[in-house]
Amino acid sequence: MAEPRSPVSASVPHNPIVLAAPEGSTLEMDPIEFTLRKRLPRKLPKRRNDVYVNMKTDFKAQLARCQKLLDAHREICIHGLGLAINRAINIALQLQTSSQGALQLAANTSTVELIDDLEPEDPDEAGEHLTRTRNNSAIHIKVFYPNP
Amino acid sequence: MFMPNTELHDNTQPVQLNPTNPIGPSKTPDLGGFRKIRSTGEPIPNPIPGLASDVLEMRVKEGSKIRNLLGFAMSRIEGDGQTQVLFSGTGRAVTKTITCAEIMKRKVAGLHQVSKLQYRTVTEVWESQESQMTVHRTLPSICILLSKEPLDPHEPGYQPPVETNTLSEEHRQVDGVQGSGKTEKRPLSPCDHPGLKRAALGKD
Repeated sequence: MAEPRSPVSASVPHNPIVLAAPEGSTLEMDPIEFTLRKRLPRKLPKRRNDVYVNMKTDFKAQLARCQKLLDAHREICIHGLGLAINRAINIALQLQTSSQGALQLAANTSTVELIDDLEPEDPDEAGEHLTRTRNNSAIHIKVFYPNP
Repeated sequence: MFMPNTELHDNTQPVQLNPTNPIGPSKTPDLGGFRKIRSTGEPIPNPIPGLASDVLEMRVKEGSKIRNLLGFAMSRIEGDGQTQVLFSGTGRAVTKTITCAEIMKRKVAGLHQVSKLQYRTVTEVWESQESQMTVHRTLPSICILLSKEPLDPHEPGYQPPVETNTLSEEHRQVDGVQGSGKTEKRPLSPCDHPGLKRAALGKD
């Protein structure tokens, strides 16, 4: 979880980050001098019938994988975080439509806490590592065949 | 305005084409000159059973401000004695709908939740200088019911109220982050010090 991803400079907002100085006064730092590294979200326990939807893999490929898992396990759990929420819902609804309504959906929502690392680009300030916490919405859809 | 990019699920098909269209009815007209003039969604039967008659329905749109939505909903649920709030959103507003529900659950303790997913058909009318086109799009939709009163726990998509404080504390203990500040300092690990790494390897 803690391993940082590749740096993203464009995501840093242009309002200055205000840090508490030792004397009690506030110290403004220009966020452009920082490299933003997005950490991966916290790992959830992964079962064989868990599917974590992303925006990089092709939609049809993810749909086919879900269908294959559903045929094997009769019940799958589709997880989507942030932008992938829409895609997760689409996959679940596509599965339900293709089953002629035989499948049932149970959707749960949650909030996931994400941590970003702000690394100063100035080598003189290499010790000043900062983290920024933000929240992101997530969805967990259980797709299953109801008991007869 | 350009025609929005559609994915596999969007089932976009032109229904009516104006006969004055110079390209002819067999081909789709150049979408560059088209702009959306009307978008109407078919009224969907409410998917959540056991709704109160006085339920507050919040229809979240793509451009809705979360502050405005929650400001209104919070004033009703805290001040006017409202017991149930229904957040609903279609298409690109789905994520915003979930965010609204999650923030509200955090602000108002003890809310029961039922979430339902479905497809909704939206009819869009696009027009250019020469022709008009009607498009039916099938978009995903979500309905989230938040209730102060208990709901049926056997209903698919039911979530019981959770203690937000204990949850966030657990998260922080696991992640090793102290406090809830937006920007925090974290201790440097040995791998973050290039000098230390070189010294450990015997290269200076």
